[in-house]
Amino acid sequence: MTASEKQLPLSGIKVFELGIAIASPFCGKLMAHFGADVIKIESRTSPDVVRLLGSAWLKDREDLAPIASDTSPYVSEMNASKRSVGLELKTEQGKAAAMQILAECDVFLANFGARALADLGFDYASVKAVNPDIVYVQLPGFGSDPNMPYYPFVAWGPNQAPLVGMDDFTGHSDDPPAGIATVAPPDYMSALHAAIATLTGLEQRDLTGEGVHVDISQFETTLALLGPFVMDYDLTGTIPSRMGNRSMWGAPQGVYPCFGIENWIAISATDDEDWDALRGLAGNAIDDVFDDATRRIEQQDLLDEQIASWTIKYQVDDLVDRLQTLGVAAHAVSSNEDLLHDTHVMSRGWYQVAASKRLGRDVFSNCLVRLDQTPGRWTHAGPSMGQHTREVLQSYAGLSDAQIDELIDVEAAFESIAPDMVTTRPWDDWIHIFIPGVDDARDL
Amino acid sequence: MVGPYEGVTVVDTTGLTGAYATRLFAGLGAEVIHLEPPQGSALRRLTPFVESVDPPENSLWWNYLAMGTRSVVIEPEDTESLERLISQADVVFEDQLPEHSGIPPEIIGSSTIRTRILPFGLTGPKRGWKSSNLVAWAGSGILYTTGFVDRPPVAPAAPVQLACHAAGASALVGTLLALRSRRLSGVVQNVEISMQEAALTIAPETGVPMLLDDRVHRERTGNRRDLGRPFGLYPCSDGFVSIIVLMPRHWVAMAQWVAEVTGNESITEPVFEENAVRIEAKDLIDEWVEELTRQGTRLELFQEGQRRGIPITPVNTVDALVDDPHLEAADYWSSTELHDGQTVTVPGAPFRTNAQWWSTSRAPFLGEHTELYVS
Repeated sequence: MTASEKQLPLSGIKVFELGIAIASPFCGKLMAHFGADVIKIESRTSPDVVRLLGSAWLKDREDLAPIASDTSPYVSEMNASKRSVGLELKTEQGKAAAMQILAECDVFLANFGARALADLGFDYASVKAVNPDIVYVQLPGFGSDPNMPYYPFVAWGPNQAPLVGMDDFTGHSDDPPAGIATVAPPDYMSALHAAIATLTGLEQRDLTGEGVHVDISQFETTLALLGPFVMDYDLTGTIPSRMGNRSMWGAPQGVYPCFGIENWIAISATDDEDWDALRGLAGNAIDDVFDDATRRIEQQDLLDEQIASWTIKYQVDDLVDRLQTLGVAAHAVSSNEDLLHDTHVMSRGWYQVAASKRLGRDVFSNCLVRLDQTPGRWTHAGPSMGQHTREVLQSYAGLSDAQIDELIDVEAAFESIAPDMVTTRPWDDWIHIFIPGVDDARDL
Repeated sequence: MVGPYEGVTVVDTTGLTGAYATRLFAGLGAEVIHLEPPQGSALRRLTPFVESVDPPENSLWWNYLAMGTRSVVIEPEDTESLERLISQADVVFEDQLPEHSGIPPEIIGSSTIRTRILPFGLTGPKRGWKSSNLVAWAGSGILYTTGFVDRPPVAPAAPVQLACHAAGASALVGTLLALRSRRLSGVVQNVEISMQEAALTIAPETGVPMLLDDRVHRERTGNRRDLGRPFGLYPCSDGFVSIIVLMPRHWVAMAQWVAEVTGNESITEPVFEENAVRIEAKDLIDEWVEELTRQGTRLELFQEGQRRGIPITPVNTVDALVDDPHLEAADYWSSTELHDGQTVTVPGAPFRTNAQWWSTSRAPFLGEHTELYVS
């Protein structure tokens, strides 16, 4: 490290991760970005789901089938800058090697189900036995207390959202619940809580020398976001439900059509100042009875109809600009294609490109936390499965090449499949057009 | 307060975007001070209100999100008091661009961390734009895909204000990282969160890497998702259940269940063990699965499906959650006291530890702690 490179906040911290899909992997990626050495333990017999998803463009490429597990975009999205170690924890030798790695780590992070984790012998008591001051953070769906009713239940991705009431809260009031078909907020909220708990655990360990067991029941954690609704129900019996895009605190707020097909604008103009600005722009297109804030709330159907008849005459970007110029919160309802052309998102480097052993390079989302003096970095994109098995077993577990070969022979460990098989994604030739600061592949 | 962050002083000048962060921070031991204008924090004006309590103490949002914190009121022209308060702060949470901040840089101590939660971040062409929970979702790609195809797009769980809380929680992550840097290497720095990026983070499904991969323009798909089958909400006798089948073992159990209950043997054909085949035949799979789900209640399907190892959950509402047997057995719920002395149920600690980390208390009254800090 040169004098100009400030030490990253998690430099020197070693994280042992047993992660699947999002909740724990997303937390691990954040820690890796800020300097932690995150060791992702992977299995071939029960792989992380991101290894099963594969890649759309690879479907018809039988020649590349052996490396499909390294090609889902989610591999980098959730695992950039981590090291992947292939160990079969259900084998005695694989488990022993994992425990040797674990003995050297500062943080244990897992979102396996609590029972699965205990069955594997990686519950807190077992881990503490080999690493007494470990910061142990687990994110089971329903907590780690085997005496609780839902302890053995399966928590899988987006099924936590309906359980905690989020799906019922989604949709227009007259429609069936629209669910949260494409998003799983409990995974991400649990991951952020896991990051908070891990940092707090490291703080405690530095100050007292003692480790900690943190149990992030995703059910309980996500429910902590519903406080005001729980209180209202307790006080008045009110059962809140979905209300489209409307605000509880003023009107108008909604998604309105703009000129063309499937062009929508989101507008929040919930206070008087916003209203005056919007009204100044819309003029007589909106009835002046709505200058009364109470009327705006009481007759929202009519108000929304009038706003929609007005917005539909505009190009969406033009109307957004006009409203934002007047200080009214508004944005185009961006599709995924719009994001590809979003100059704001791109100017902030939201999409990052880093080296990938298998794919040459790969693109993934940046970290939402930005620090101005110790900005994180991406050492590489998502690892291929088992890419770092040998080096980690050597340096962390102190195993010789011969010992590692033996582990591989008995299928207790594995290394990258067909390590010499490399390819590039089809977009590789033109990614520089979209993502600022990326080299043209033809120059590489 | 006790907890690992005891001794850390935090001033919160934000509203809805920062309050979840400072609520957690206070629970972990930090001394969190809401710096309020004389008319009170914007949070105090958010409904629902408690009928028996007068403003500005009647907002349930304030009474929940400000738990464990303190309230200090400073008149706008009283720069001396502001300086005295800010000079004690290890961390200041703000929701304004530097040029609009009510806290001039000269009164910020040399070791104070500024954590800014901004609509679109500190840089970029939209840096000056306004936002809201809805607007943050609009810029994430996910709003466009949420809802039914013949209806306008809808924000995910709009009343919950998820984009605000995601921004807040990540602001706390950044703040704890910055505190660690300060302690270990003396670096004092600022934290920046963009609400749009908080929403983008939760929305990789509509992000650029996925689009580059499959070049699929994502449409609204109602309450199901073409990542697997069955995947989404399925009608039952008293509402809906959610079923998410991706893993091979989950499908095997699901197919077996349908076959046992409805006598449908075709569903157990090996060809359907391939997720891609099930997505291809999604209408057929959905029809077969619905023949099962329509026969049971949310609770029956939840318990029997889970017994079989299938990821199935009820589509819950707040009343069902308050009565949930697991949460009750786990002693999850806590309570807080309102201004008139009555107690009300609130969610408990967001996570459990074997060390004494979490403690909280009722939300402060407007200006309750002013004298402690500025007299």
